[in-house]
Amino acid sequence: MAVIVKPRTGSWRLLVALLLVPASIWAQAPLAHGTRSVVVLDAAHGGDDSGGQLGRGLPGSSAGESPVATVAEKSVTLTLSVRLRSLLAARGFAVVTTRESNVNLDADARAQVANHALALACLSLHATESGTGVHVFVSSLAPKDTRSGGRFLAWKTAQAGYVTQSLKLASVLNSAFEQSVAGGSAGSGSNAGVEAAAIPVSLGRTSLPGVDSMACPAVSVEVAPVRGADRQVVTDVTDTQYQTRIVEALAAALMEWRTEADTEAASHPKSSGGPQP
Amino acid sequence: MIPRYQKIVFIGLLVVSIVMAVVLVRLRERAHDQLLKGEDLAPTSAPAVAPAEAATLLVANDMDGTLVEVKTSLPLPKDAGARARALLEKLFEIYAAAGAMHPVAGVARPVQQVFLLTVPEGAATNKNGSSTAAGMLAVVNLSGEFADGHPAGIAAESLTVESICATLHANLPQIAQVRFLVNGEVRKTLAGHADLTRTYLTSEIPSTAVTGTQPAGEARGVVQP
Ligand SMILES: [Zn+2]
Repeated sequence: MAVIVKPRTGSWRLLVALLLVPASIWAQAPLAHGTRSVVVLDAAHGGDDSGGQLGRGLPGSSAGESPVATVAEKSVTLTLSVRLRSLLAARGFAVVTTRESNVNLDADARAQVANHALALACLSLHATESGTGVHVFVSSLAPKDTRSGGRFLAWKTAQAGYVTQSLKLASVLNSAFEQSVAGGSAGSGSNAGVEAAAIPVSLGRTSLPGVDSMACPAVSVEVAPVRGADRQVVTDVTDTQYQTRIVEALAAALMEWRTEADTEAASHPKSSGGPQP
Repeated sequence: MIPRYQKIVFIGLLVVSIVMAVVLVRLRERAHDQLLKGEDLAPTSAPAVAPAEAATLLVANDMDGTLVEVKTSLPLPKDAGARARALLEKLFEIYAAAGAMHPVAGVARPVQQVFLLTVPEGAATNKNGSSTAAGMLAVVNLSGEFADGHPAGIAAESLTVESICATLHANLPQIAQVRFLVNGEVRKTLAGHADLTRTYLTSEIPSTAVTGTQPAGEARGVVQP
């Protein structure tokens, strides 16, 4: 459109220039995921939506004697997203994030970012005070074969075409957390006693508007504190070392997922429709 | 010009119509108040003479994300809607107790009402496009206080929703679908995560009635290698 307009004045030229800016941004996108595997990181909540308040489970916070400052879920998810992004970038992934700051973002906008990226995997990151360890959730939509059911997916239920892959991705994440006991935080060595226990993982299915609209293998990862047998908090979600273990396990899982996708692509070279293991 | 008797008739009719209007408005207001207070008329606990009945509650466990079957007995009203409400209030009593496996702050009146409606077969389609089975639709009207005090989290909120649906279905098997209201209105989520705008099918709730402990990964039967 912009090219057809013959600029007569300076202001027209400026307008054309402005119209061409977004086009140049989009033009880079295919180049990026033509060579590198794309991972979408969605730091849940943000802006007016703070999510839950975290840190209330810490010892002392409930007694009222030494109140512990609570932190909003939205800032923990952003921290996790930023930390995981740099780990993934160092491992050769192209990372697309839904937000990089404390901004409002609705479910459709998140899905839109994910669906433009043609991603190998999409991770929606949450944090909570309830339960223990890491909760991995896959959409509760019934799986739908995209190949038989036409080319286009309904926006609200786009994830239905990817549920089978999302379940596989969840299973890869599960293994990564189980294996994180032995080699996950290799190199630190100082807190061997604290780091010995595995991070408990639970898997579930649920209906979440953002993830349900994502056309990529997608999971929600909800980070909860680690609790002992007495259900008291041993490690809180705000613990930096705990967060390190989690993002390292997630990065390891995504590397495994990329390897599986490459192997699949090599055995079925005909299917060029993106990295679909 | 206008005959005197016509004036009298006119004034008389005017007075009568004003009185009738006032009476109608009053009646309407009274009916509205009674509707709002409807839950108060339905007995929430049976009279002392009513024997306690056996009931099955599906109680959430945050530690492994399961629903645990708990047999109990409590006095239950005859009316199905009031019965459903009594069951859910018993369930929430467990969540509000000290040391609960799925702690949710106790409030005075967590469930305002439960309405039961008959749904003809295939009348509604769920999100997956398959038509729903015949049965009752339970509309659970939660109090705003309960929802506002609910812990935030995908797991915590989903477990509350699932335990409500499973408990209703276990005791009133005719309930096939569950919808939620908060203070009589549709609310997007329970506490920021669990979707309260959709219809939940009781057949979709994972039947995870466990009595012992299970490995966390298998607890909800999701991993399909
Ligand atoms: Zn969240």
